[in-house]
Amino acid sequence: MSDASIGGMGRRSFLSAVGLGAAALGGGSLLSACGGLKGTGGSSSDVLKIGYVSPQTGPLAGFATADNFVVKQIQEAVRSGFTAGGKKRTIEIIVKDTQSNSNRATEVTRQLINSDKVDLIVGSSTPDTTNPVADQCEANGIPNVTTIAPWEAWFHGRNGKSGEGFKYTTLFFFGMREFADCFFPMWERMDVSNKNVAALWPNDTDANAFREGLGPMMKEAGYTPIDGGAYQNGTTDFSAQIAKFKESDAELFTCTPIPPDFQTFWKQAQQQGFRPKLATVAKVMLFPSEAEALGTLTDNIATDFWWSPAHPYKSILDGKSAQQLADDFAAETGKQWTQALGSVYSLFEIAIQAFKEAGDPKDRDEVAAKLRGMKISCMSGDLDFTAGPEPGIAIQHPVGGQWRKGEKFPWDVVIVDNTPNKAVPIGGDLRPTNG
Amino acid sequence: MGWLNAVIQGLLLGGLYALFATGLSLMFGVMRIVNLAHGDLAVVASFLALALVSGTGLPLWVVLVVTVPLFAVLGYLTQRVLLQRSLSSGPLATLLVTFGLSIVLQNVLLEVFSADTRTLDGGSFATGSFELNGSISIGYLSLATFVLACAVLVGIQLFLSRTGLGRMLRASSDDRETANLVGADSRHVYGIATAIAFATVALAGLMFAMRSSFDPATGPSRLIFAFEAVVIGGLGSLWGTLIGGIVLGVTQSLGSQIDPALTLLAGHLVFLAVLAFRPQGLIAGRTA
Repeated sequence: MSDASIGGMGRRSFLSAVGLGAAALGGGSLLSACGGLKGTGGSSSDVLKIGYVSPQTGPLAGFATADNFVVKQIQEAVRSGFTAGGKKRTIEIIVKDTQSNSNRATEVTRQLINSDKVDLIVGSSTPDTTNPVADQCEANGIPNVTTIAPWEAWFHGRNGKSGEGFKYTTLFFFGMREFADCFFPMWERMDVSNKNVAALWPNDTDANAFREGLGPMMKEAGYTPIDGGAYQNGTTDFSAQIAKFKESDAELFTCTPIPPDFQTFWKQAQQQGFRPKLATVAKVMLFPSEAEALGTLTDNIATDFWWSPAHPYKSILDGKSAQQLADDFAAETGKQWTQALGSVYSLFEIAIQAFKEAGDPKDRDEVAAKLRGMKISCMSGDLDFTAGPEPGIAIQHPVGGQWRKGEKFPWDVVIVDNTPNKAVPIGGDLRPTNG
Repeated sequence: MGWLNAVIQGLLLGGLYALFATGLSLMFGVMRIVNLAHGDLAVVASFLALALVSGTGLPLWVVLVVTVPLFAVLGYLTQRVLLQRSLSSGPLATLLVTFGLSIVLQNVLLEVFSADTRTLDGGSFATGSFELNGSISIGYLSLATFVLACAVLVGIQLFLSRTGLGRMLRASSDDRETANLVGADSRHVYGIATAIAFATVALAGLMFAMRSSFDPATGPSRLIFAFEAVVIGGLGSLWGTLIGGIVLGVTQSLGSQIDPALTLLAGHLVFLAVLAFRPQGLIAGRTA
């Protein structure tokens, strides 16, 4: 037809090749599978085995940056063992990688239960990890504690019965109420001409929880959410959402996208002239690597901080402060602290505490009961698993922080609003994101 | 006005898809290689540029100018060293080789650069725009990508139709044995085709990287857009690839205007519709 034609390819040959290709792509996750790290220790009954499941590779890997460091810290802190159930015990930690895939999370949890015969499983980061891990533990009667997932997504996403909860699975983190308590005071402090809030919420578990949870709370507080619509993750163009936000004259912005999509959106928003006065984002900009990737556009984006070196918390294992933990992490890995550092550390504090409190740490029902009734003052602050919105959930109260140019690292966090948790010291003023 | 904006933004996005699909179209057209590592190569180019920027401190545009020819050389070598050997064993072997390459690239990137999400910081160029009116702004980067896509396609078109090497390339793709008989070295010719394909995929990868972000696992999800653009536009036609990219971009953009949940689905549906009702694509190339 045109002389740009390059070659006599048959349609069938191309299509069959494409078909094969698609099949090959689908099989990729199987081929790239790999096992986890193994901790030290033997298999005698004095050894308590803790399985740890987290997304160490793939798009969620930012949450797991501190994993190896934390596992090492914990192993050092309890190297000489501890007494539980009248005997001296040591722990062995078996680490598994979900590759950021919820199916794989299920699979590795099963491995931990069936092949590694662990006594307790801890897991972290996003409902894609916490929910499949908790489901497996509940079904197999393994005591379990997870973190870094909104409790609603964890509880309702697993069909938890209100007032009853689960027998074996527990969680510490926070939910929509705490997001609201963290974001609303910052919004109130901004000088805005209207109460519209642009909301970028995709169609996934996290964002739907925000749509159904935070949306009504915003209305109650007098704000109008301008929902950009339930787009699919991995979208490359946000023109429609940006146009809608601009039309609404919203000067406040909130979102719950996956990190790569936020980078795309934020650049496009700048390009197409949507520059909100204050952006309070959730799920993204939690880690320095994201702040660095976004470059100058990072300045003064606000997000929720449930843990930072400034938090006045201490390890229950060896008394190490949050600041020390962050400094040790920086010294050992050369990397900047992340919030997951404190949370992952606490997972093990709680697990070890449950072992210590139980009459027989090998008795799964008893350890699970100790988890559900746990009150602990640890690296993540005071956690009370009996006082949460549902049984077996301990609530943290995140404070508002903004990304600013740092001294030692390119971007640093400054805590700008501590309304929800007065124990955390303020580090600076709240500034407009787009001045 | 919202609809007009959607069409314009979709058109510009289509330019990016087309640029990205060109290499895939070219490699299939000339050698019948379905390059499953296409998306990953784009990501490799992005990481290479990132490493050059942070390693040498050169401005981004210099790095772009360096990366693209570097990738062309890499393409030539890949063809001669890796793909040529598998070509003689039939299409399945090359498919498996490129699939393997895809996995190797992803894992090497993961090992070297970790899973962190990165972007190329294009500064004010990447975020700047001019306004057509109050509700339509056109980004410099999007516009540049679109113009670049057209320029690349015109360039390849001219190369294929006007130069001796281009004619040899077309001859080799039509009938390799006969072309060899009359003096074309098909291995060299194939190398050239792969070099061009790699250069375009590097360019597309860099544009993608400035526009959004990338990590070692982004490749395969990008690949699907390139496949769709090639199939929608019509196999074997470079202009078809441009049209295919634009149709895909505009469809996605219009889909998101109706309901953001439809964005990607709308593109896939058009792809399916083309396969079902006009399998030769919107602009049919020469068929065998």
